[in-house]
Amino acid sequence: MAFSREIYQALEDIVGKRNVSEDIGVCETYRNIPAQGSAHYGPSEHWTPLPQAVILPGSTEEVQNIVQVCNKYDIEFKASTTFWSTMGYIGSDYGLQIDMRRMKSVQFDAKNMTAIVEPFAIAATVQAEAMKLGLNLNIPGVGCSSSALANAFSWIAFGPNSISMGSGPENILGLEVVLPNGEVLRTGSLGSGDGWFCGEGPGPSQRGLLRGIFGTAGTLGVCTKLALRMHPWPGPADFPTYGKAPAYKAEWDNFKCYTLCFPNWESWARSIQYFYESDIAYSGHRQFNMFGRNLKGAVLNIVSDETKQLCDLQELVKDERIIKENASMKHDYQVIIAGFSKKDLEYKEKAIDYILEQTGGWKNEMMLEKGLHDYALLYLTRLGHKNLNYVMCGAYEGTFGLSGNIWKAIQVAEDAIAMKRKWEVEHTDIVANGGDSAMGCLSGMGGGGATGWEFFTNFDAYDKESTRGTCEFVEGNQKFQNKYSFGPDFCRWNSDVRHMNGYSYTQEEHDEMFVKAPQPWVYAYQYKIREAINPKNLCGTYLRTLNPEKLTK
Amino acid sequence: MALKDYRAMMERCSTCAGCKFVPFEKIKSIRFGENCPSIGYHNFMTYSARGRFQLAQSLLDGRAELNDTVTEAIHSCTSCGFCDIACKVTRYNLEPLEHNIELKAYAVENGKILEGQKPVIENLKKEHCMIPGTKKANRTDWAKDLNLKDLFKEKGEVAFFAGCKYSYDPKLQKVAQSAVKLLQSAGVDLGYLGAADNCCAGRAYQMGFFKEFEESADANIKAFKKAGVKTIVTLCSDGYYTFKRLYAKRGLDIEVLHIVEYIDKLITEGKIKFTKTVPLTVTYHDPCHLGRLGEEYVPWEGKEKKIYNQIQIWEPRRPRYNGIYGIYDAPRRILEAIPGVKLVEMERIREYSWCCGAGGGCSESNPEFSAWTAGERITEANATGADALVTACPWCKDNFVNAVDEDGNKIEVLDIIELVQQAI
Repeated sequence: MAFSREIYQALEDIVGKRNVSEDIGVCETYRNIPAQGSAHYGPSEHWTPLPQAVILPGSTEEVQNIVQVCNKYDIEFKASTTFWSTMGYIGSDYGLQIDMRRMKSVQFDAKNMTAIVEPFAIAATVQAEAMKLGLNLNIPGVGCSSSALANAFSWIAFGPNSISMGSGPENILGLEVVLPNGEVLRTGSLGSGDGWFCGEGPGPSQRGLLRGIFGTAGTLGVCTKLALRMHPWPGPADFPTYGKAPAYKAEWDNFKCYTLCFPNWESWARSIQYFYESDIAYSGHRQFNMFGRNLKGAVLNIVSDETKQLCDLQELVKDERIIKENASMKHDYQVIIAGFSKKDLEYKEKAIDYILEQTGGWKNEMMLEKGLHDYALLYLTRLGHKNLNYVMCGAYEGTFGLSGNIWKAIQVAEDAIAMKRKWEVEHTDIVANGGDSAMGCLSGMGGGGATGWEFFTNFDAYDKESTRGTCEFVEGNQKFQNKYSFGPDFCRWNSDVRHMNGYSYTQEEHDEMFVKAPQPWVYAYQYKIREAINPKNLCGTYLRTLNPEKLTK
Repeated sequence: MALKDYRAMMERCSTCAGCKFVPFEKIKSIRFGENCPSIGYHNFMTYSARGRFQLAQSLLDGRAELNDTVTEAIHSCTSCGFCDIACKVTRYNLEPLEHNIELKAYAVENGKILEGQKPVIENLKKEHCMIPGTKKANRTDWAKDLNLKDLFKEKGEVAFFAGCKYSYDPKLQKVAQSAVKLLQSAGVDLGYLGAADNCCAGRAYQMGFFKEFEESADANIKAFKKAGVKTIVTLCSDGYYTFKRLYAKRGLDIEVLHIVEYIDKLITEGKIKFTKTVPLTVTYHDPCHLGRLGEEYVPWEGKEKKIYNQIQIWEPRRPRYNGIYGIYDAPRRILEAIPGVKLVEMERIREYSWCCGAGGGCSESNPEFSAWTAGERITEANATGADALVTACPWCKDNFVNAVDEDGNKIEVLDIIELVQQAI
């Protein structure tokens, strides 16, 4: 149902004619097919619902006015920044899509190592500006093409740097959010008028608003500004790179990037434990295994060489040397160490040697070659084309996802690999890359303690058989997860909030679902939060809620 | 190919946002971190390569229609190819630029064009020039008294091609005349097509007017062949791209050089020597059609194949145009060779250079958008502290000359030939 003229005029009055559109062609470009991006609820061929209008606010005040209009006329609204994930799209037929791209400023307080970011400041641009001041930020696995604000506020935000810089929630200081009811809430020190330096007070704490590692899942209003904790950057201020696209590379004196390899999962896990304890890693990630145990050496040789293409893959895979290197990297991960002084780097080098000695590990030789070393160093530092995710097929889903203890993960790793490998051989829907395509960070929290990994499952979004087959694999994978009591898989993390047809679940459906869930009071508590700040339920689609009345019955 | 043939690309786009930014590894600042003028100006997703993939699906499926807003969005693209280059940092099987232009062609086929495009195309048809108001009869006036051989009357192997802008704009005519004299004084036996000299029509292709482009291209190819031309030297970057890529695809088998390549060669050979100092700090703007779109055409016929179940490859190996082999070093070497000239670089250079705004016919069809795009570049140029912005394309120069930066300031804009001339 189209918006009435009264509603559209009200929206136009807020942002001006130029920044709102109800043209169906424009609105069509604000729909998403989850098979094409990461949705974390399984690939789907359905488009998300068509918004009735798209609006581009330029300030917090404009956002507030838009939300008030939505409240007045009971319109679902959803704010998004880079529109990568299906989470950012509306889920009903009467919705307003808020595109935050006009709000993209960044202000630094170098002395206090903070940055106040607006929604469309992507991590790459924040990082580029931060480095000029000797600072850096946690860029999560989603990559630098995503909003630094949304990363921190709305979701988990762990990645390669989290071992030294913490994940999203650990880096949020003061924040400003337009609540679903149209009020502006400023949390932490900002809420008491004392600036952006602290998220926990002396003003209202953000913890009531953000939900642990999952942030708000992008639902509790519209975050318009957020202060991020910055971290020291000991590298060059101008981020020099060299090489030809796509094989851009970097060489910085006081940085080293190693691919560390181990004889088995047990020593692999023990070495990670050493990294948790030693505090020497600037970044730690099992990155390039995303291409798969059998293909990674070959794909790395392609993406780091501008003259090669995917058609070179089969020849490279047969190369004896690459077969040997793949075997060497069977249980591997990448680590970057950064020297804040020459001695610091020397110490960290020695510490790595010690860790390898204690665990029987080694440095992969191919990854020490200058070209590959410099490619990996640059890639992991900026997480540039996160979309290495997309190199092979254009689409992927994360399966056998785990956010937790590495020791638990390795207990089932080989079984999970065998399961995926069996699927690759017996079906043709997903890329056959050797079963093990687990990718993830050494630690999803600052200092270490819990890993986060997923098996990259690549498929072809254009090939409907591939998409459907991947959905079947996802189902099979969930059964595997259930068998080992691992809970919902990565690719099922959002399947309880949006139907496969792109529409959001209703409260009634959620009631039925969550009343049987473990710890149902959590959902009932969230229902009360939503009642308080989102009484009309206009933007709460990813906030899992249970009507407490259902529970007491 | 028709628009429907791009269906696989449309559905394989990963919505990664790469088409909106400078290749992420190359981003130096928030101010100059974006790449697409179209979404930069209009802001709606519709105006990005991603949005165009999605819009095309909606049009083909009948969910959207070619109304005025959609028509304007489709044509509001400078066809600069920046999205294409950024996409290919990740993807090996998407061609966003080709698709953007095909989408324009789809609109044109359905009679959906912009008001500003009509006189441009009409003039191409009637006067063989894409500058409205120009007459074919005056096309070679600039070349009088230059002793340029008419290659239909006298034998010669090197054809000088000025292009529409240099042929008609009185200020730019002087640049063309200087260029000819420069090559002649270096001993180059130079000719031109005389009465057969016509618009290359590359801009018609960029605007989606395929039929008009093809008619012009085929006639021009025939003329070059008939005149026995072995090398075309062009001043115009649009022309360079058109001959080197688009004509080559249609069977032109003649060496194509941009003037900067020729001058660079002559400097190396010692045939051009600089005798004067030009004390100027300059920044160089890489024209899209000389830089990232200036790669050589490589014939290819093949098909898609899947390996390892779902990885898509091309069999045989398909040429990959990702801008890295464009003409970037020759103009820089020329600038470095001029005594007194100091080159300072902008943030967005080489394959990731920001467009001047004139491409895709936008300077005529979408003048406000075009002027904004040029203004963005002037802002970037002024941020370097340079005294002048140097380029090697008349469309770029023309668009920059009238543009101002975000503070309303201008910058001196020079064709690289003007600078070379000052040093001789």
